[in-house]
Amino acid sequence: MDRPKKPAPIVNDWARPFWEAARQGKLTIQQCKDCKKPIFYPRLCCPHCFSEDIHWIEASGKATVYSYTVVENNAPSAFIADMPYVVAVVRLEEGVQMLSNIVGCDPYEVKCDMPVQVTFEKLDEEFTLPKFKPI
Amino acid sequence: MGRLKGKVAIVGIGEVPTGRFPDRAAIFHAVESARLAIKDAGINKDLIDFVMPTAALYSPQFNTELVTCRIAEELGLRNAKTNCQIFAGGSSGSCFLKLGGSIIETGIANYVLCVHADRLGTGVTAQGGIDLFSTAGISAEWEVPFGQHYSAIAGLTTTRYKYETGCTDEQLAAVCVSNRKWAELNPNAFFRKPLTIEEVLASKMLSTPLRAKQSNMLFDGGSALIITSAERAAEITEKPVYLLGESGRVTHFVFSQEPDLTRFGWAEAAKEAFGEAGITPNDVDVAEIYDSYPIYQVIGMEELGFCRRGEAGEMYLKGDTWPGGRLPTTTNGGMLSQGHTGAGGGVALLVEAVRQLMGKAGQRQAPDAKIAVETGTGGTYMDAQVTILGTVIP
Ligand SMILES: [Zn+2]
Repeated sequence: MDRPKKPAPIVNDWARPFWEAARQGKLTIQQCKDCKKPIFYPRLCCPHCFSEDIHWIEASGKATVYSYTVVENNAPSAFIADMPYVVAVVRLEEGVQMLSNIVGCDPYEVKCDMPVQVTFEKLDEEFTLPKFKPI
Repeated sequence: MGRLKGKVAIVGIGEVPTGRFPDRAAIFHAVESARLAIKDAGINKDLIDFVMPTAALYSPQFNTELVTCRIAEELGLRNAKTNCQIFAGGSSGSCFLKLGGSIIETGIANYVLCVHADRLGTGVTAQGGIDLFSTAGISAEWEVPFGQHYSAIAGLTTTRYKYETGCTDEQLAAVCVSNRKWAELNPNAFFRKPLTIEEVLASKMLSTPLRAKQSNMLFDGGSALIITSAERAAEITEKPVYLLGESGRVTHFVFSQEPDLTRFGWAEAAKEAFGEAGITPNDVDVAEIYDSYPIYQVIGMEELGFCRRGEAGEMYLKGDTWPGGRLPTTTNGGMLSQGHTGAGGGVALLVEAVRQLMGKAGQRQAPDAKIAVETGTGGTYMDAQVTILGTVIP
């Protein structure tokens, strides 16, 4: 049986710069020029102060693991071959949260509040996903 | 204060068994639940002037039938003025009351028939169910590409909650045992054999630390209720169940954007709902806390104020929440034991709260139940809806 293809991100227009940067190995987020707050995921306007004056900044890539889980069984079809894999919510140094995978270590070594660093995994010609590995 | 407090009431409930019924069309679960609710209310079917189905997930064709007035036609509801779908995932039951109640109170309708039905047990395969719930409510841009799905979501919440509170796997397993004790007494529940903590902890690991027997399963089922004004309710039944208070909080769409994965919006919603009702958690006789996974039933119990943070696990373990306990909780067995029917998991909890207050809960009747709280949450625990019901108006 053919293994189902990994789902690629279904991209919103205003988030394209994020995926273009990721393809070049850069983790970017938005920042509001008015209230200065960091913004992730990308928005049309600032979710804090509703300003339209937002711009892209490069994140340091440093983060901590807010929470994690090791998927051992009953994964979605496209991810069955990856089990066991780690799904984690990470908190970037800049102060925003995102979902990703923790890679480059034994899945059972991942802990809450553990420091991690971004690393990039190519999905296909169009998409590269930001993932995280222990520092 | 009190916008709807004491002004609207539920006068009838209906429910079909939750399970796998390959020979039953999905519409059966809708029509039969609605018919039972009308019979329970003891009213002429032609008094129903507003039909409010929630959404079904298993097939767009069936969902369209719910949208396009099939329930009204099947039951011959000749005076139905409006058929309009209300859908907020697992919060749909709570939303029935907010919206149905408002429609009654403003005079737009006199009798609102709320119905849920779905066929997730036989309408989709097991892997199809996993795949459906690896996209339904999950961000296609920010989470689906990382293998996110509902077991992982429950694992993520549980990991952080355990880390912050010291809650044990045994306590989390005790939630499943507590719910099963109720389901043993519920003829409409799918899982009715006794369950032990050891069995839960020996079951297959899904997404750490979540195990198979801590995961809900998808089934066919349906339930329904009828809302009317408090005045009309008093004329047709001796035990109207009044809406006493409600509130809610929307906290995220993308799960990983939730600011506090161990709390969500329950505390604020509960404070407002209890405030409107004019009661405290101490006054509650029955707590129908939304489960779907044990961690959410633990968090709900604590954030609503039934105990301090980190103490709910012990309540489930010691038996406070069991039949005969001091706070009967999730008394239909919840999605973990009655079974998950999509949006209907929350509707079934609301119907159970009403059933307890009407004194119709049979073997699992909580003694002298006058006040019940019901909670609902949709999507990836995107919102926190708290509803307070009672047979008396404090
Ligand atoms: Zn701003």
